[in-house]
Amino acid sequence: MTNGTSTETIPVGPTPAADERRLDAVRVAQNYGIYAVLVVIVIVATIVYSGFLSPDNIKLVLSQNAPLGIVAVGMTLVIIGGGFDLSVGAIFAVSGTAAAMIATHHGAAEGFVVGVALGLVCGLINAIVITRFRVNPFVATLGSSSLFSGVIMLISNSNPFFVEKTSFTWLGQTKLLGVQLPTILLGIVFLLGWLVLNRSVYGRRVLAVGGNPEASRLAGVRTDLVQGGTYVISGLLAAFAGAISASQLSVGQGTAGGTMALQSIAVVVIGGTSLLGGEGSMTRTAVGLLILATLDNIFFSLAVDTNWQLISQGIIVIGAVALDQLFRRMRTK
Amino acid sequence: MVPEATVADRETAVRCTAVSRSFGHTKAVVDVDLSVRRGEIHALVGANGAGKSTLLGMLSGRIAPSDGDLQIFGRKLQGGRPRESRAASIAIVYQELTIVPLLSAAANVFLGEELGHGGAIEERRMQRRFAELCREFEVEIDGTTVAGELTVATQQLLEIMRAVQRQTKLLLLDEPTASLSHRERDFLLGLMRRLRDDGVTIIFVSHNLDEVIAVSDTVTVMRNARKIETAPVGRWTKSDLVEAMTGEAPARVSRERRAPRGEVVLEASDVSLPGALVDISLDVRAGEVLGLAGLVGSGRTSLLRSLAGLEPASSGTLKIRGKDRPWPRSPRQALRKLDIALLPEDRKGQGLVLGMSVPDNVTMTDLGTVSRGGLVNDRAQLAKARALMEPFRLNRKVDRYPVSELSGGGQQKVVLAKYLNQNPSVMLVDEPTRGIDVAAKVEVLNAVREFAQRGKAVILTSSEIEEVLDVSDRILVIVAGRVGGEFEMDSESPGVRDVLDLAFELDDPTAPVTSRSAEES
Repeated sequence: MTNGTSTETIPVGPTPAADERRLDAVRVAQNYGIYAVLVVIVIVATIVYSGFLSPDNIKLVLSQNAPLGIVAVGMTLVIIGGGFDLSVGAIFAVSGTAAAMIATHHGAAEGFVVGVALGLVCGLINAIVITRFRVNPFVATLGSSSLFSGVIMLISNSNPFFVEKTSFTWLGQTKLLGVQLPTILLGIVFLLGWLVLNRSVYGRRVLAVGGNPEASRLAGVRTDLVQGGTYVISGLLAAFAGAISASQLSVGQGTAGGTMALQSIAVVVIGGTSLLGGEGSMTRTAVGLLILATLDNIFFSLAVDTNWQLISQGIIVIGAVALDQLFRRMRTK
Repeated sequence: MVPEATVADRETAVRCTAVSRSFGHTKAVVDVDLSVRRGEIHALVGANGAGKSTLLGMLSGRIAPSDGDLQIFGRKLQGGRPRESRAASIAIVYQELTIVPLLSAAANVFLGEELGHGGAIEERRMQRRFAELCREFEVEIDGTTVAGELTVATQQLLEIMRAVQRQTKLLLLDEPTASLSHRERDFLLGLMRRLRDDGVTIIFVSHNLDEVIAVSDTVTVMRNARKIETAPVGRWTKSDLVEAMTGEAPARVSRERRAPRGEVVLEASDVSLPGALVDISLDVRAGEVLGLAGLVGSGRTSLLRSLAGLEPASSGTLKIRGKDRPWPRSPRQALRKLDIALLPEDRKGQGLVLGMSVPDNVTMTDLGTVSRGGLVNDRAQLAKARALMEPFRLNRKVDRYPVSELSGGGQQKVVLAKYLNQNPSVMLVDEPTRGIDVAAKVEVLNAVREFAQRGKAVILTSSEIEEVLDVSDRILVIVAGRVGGEFEMDSESPGVRDVLDLAFELDDPTAPVTSRSAEES
């Protein structure tokens, strides 16, 4: 036709953008801005707290935040899959308390196994309520959170269970090659999470279902299984984190993990994973964790009122999402 | 007897026997018998609400039939389960594309059937297979591009690739060309023929009768949820089809050809939008319908959006009734300060609240007139909605059912009524007839003309060039963001060909930029 080319190809590739360079700048800011934020916070940390970068401090920060990080890996999957899990804190407490209770009477190993298995069951309950009975994930996990907490408080008589046996504290307090075991476990969970999300068929489907559930369903994806799976994984990891935390502190109690849900969501969101689902990454969650952990450490070292920490955390969460939205709008304009 | 039956089975791809489907009290498909031969392109045509999409939906497994029997390649289909249909090698490409916008092009093609080994994705193998598919389709697409950044036509191609990749034997296409430009449309029709020659059976729904006649082997006409007739394409002419679809001879937009003499209501000059529009100037008079013709992506829609304040990056100078006015920066400003309203292209996303009733939708912009003391008077609202919908022959009485229960044409009438009720002095109309049937089209276009005759200025665009020719008093042809030519419809009578000649003129990037003469003369 009027076109000189021989084969008739239809226009493909990215839609013509008005200002490629500006878009690229926005994209870079969106993709790498969070790393810049981390660097800035680390620099601030070294200024206000000279011991911040010392190996011992770094190890301490990582192992303290290992349970939170493990929960955040599960939360990342849930959120990418288009869901939400408010019950991680409750599951965290269920597992830690059950493990400690059992460890006082029986073996510590049985305690851990039962604790983690309970997390699996809790996750399964969430999955069924959300995908079978189609209860909105926010409501479903808000409800199940209260349910799980209530049950474990009832069973434990609201008592903390102190366990000093080394067979129990082993999980949270051993060191391997000078590094705390929880930190190593955190690394392994992150690696597995990354593999599942980036290299597995399941991870690809979580991204697809979160991005467009109807399209995925019509393409023959079992969307309920894929989404349900994220809650099971999240429950399992929350329970694992609860067991580690109980072992670190030598105590299991029903009130543990009270801020776990909000903190883990904060970690995921600060990293830039969209609450709308369909996009996000484990590396971003890792960066989010490091940012929160660093802040935590700064405030701890300054020995100021911990309420300042809450305030700064709140500002950072809202700021991160607002900034992400701004970049998004700039990209679509 | 027995061998004959098996031969027939082997040659039959689809056999529907007395298939019916109702949604509540609405009968969408009634008692349809249909048989589709293996390896043919079979077109389903009919007015909106005739039941084509529902029938297609049942074959795809998205909708379960309420009654009757579906057989695909001799196998009985329960229906209502997408996975079952997939197992029977059926694939469907919906009008609303089912792309996951954040995943890559290749990932979308392999969605649900990712190539992998022991649960691990094999990205490289998928990219390689994707490249092979591109070669087969004779297109160039980067498999790693995020699908949401591709054009609609390319996204649609991804879905067809998905089908081909799955060794689909029966491909269902629901209005595949509705949002494509002419060139993309021709490419798709060629691709359909190639797939058929490879042995794929294709059933497609289309409102474009020219392409139905051009590409299909057999045509089935549906009307009012029933099948009217199936015959080889050679036995149909375009007007036969329209007659079978509507049960009456084709109607035309009623109008008289004389130049509107009203005052110039809107005068825009040097309208620019980076990457889309270059120094466009236009004016429109009271009582005039100004048509914008051009290829998809030529800037027709961007121009309307700029005038409606939806493109903050746009610039230009604006005069309303001869007075200088600021360039609109937001839709609110355009509407409140300049009295310019845009009837949006995407009726489901932007024009309607689908879950709300017809009265709620139509009176949305002026609830005040049907309420007292902040409370909506239900009876007044319903009466007003009925009055507003009066000129449009809706096939269902206006009442408190959700708009989503109406057919596409019905929905478009509701949107139009809502905007006409706003009564702006300048109405911008973008693709008012996309995906609606012939009869509804004529009503919608007539309503637009009547609106103009009330002394209003209308600027309308559509990818159906015939429609623009039918309804406009004057036509600007938009070519690559500029005005490529102009037709005065009272003195000239251009055909589709004349418009296309202009529209394609600047399509070749090596050609010199010429012919703004038409505009200046």
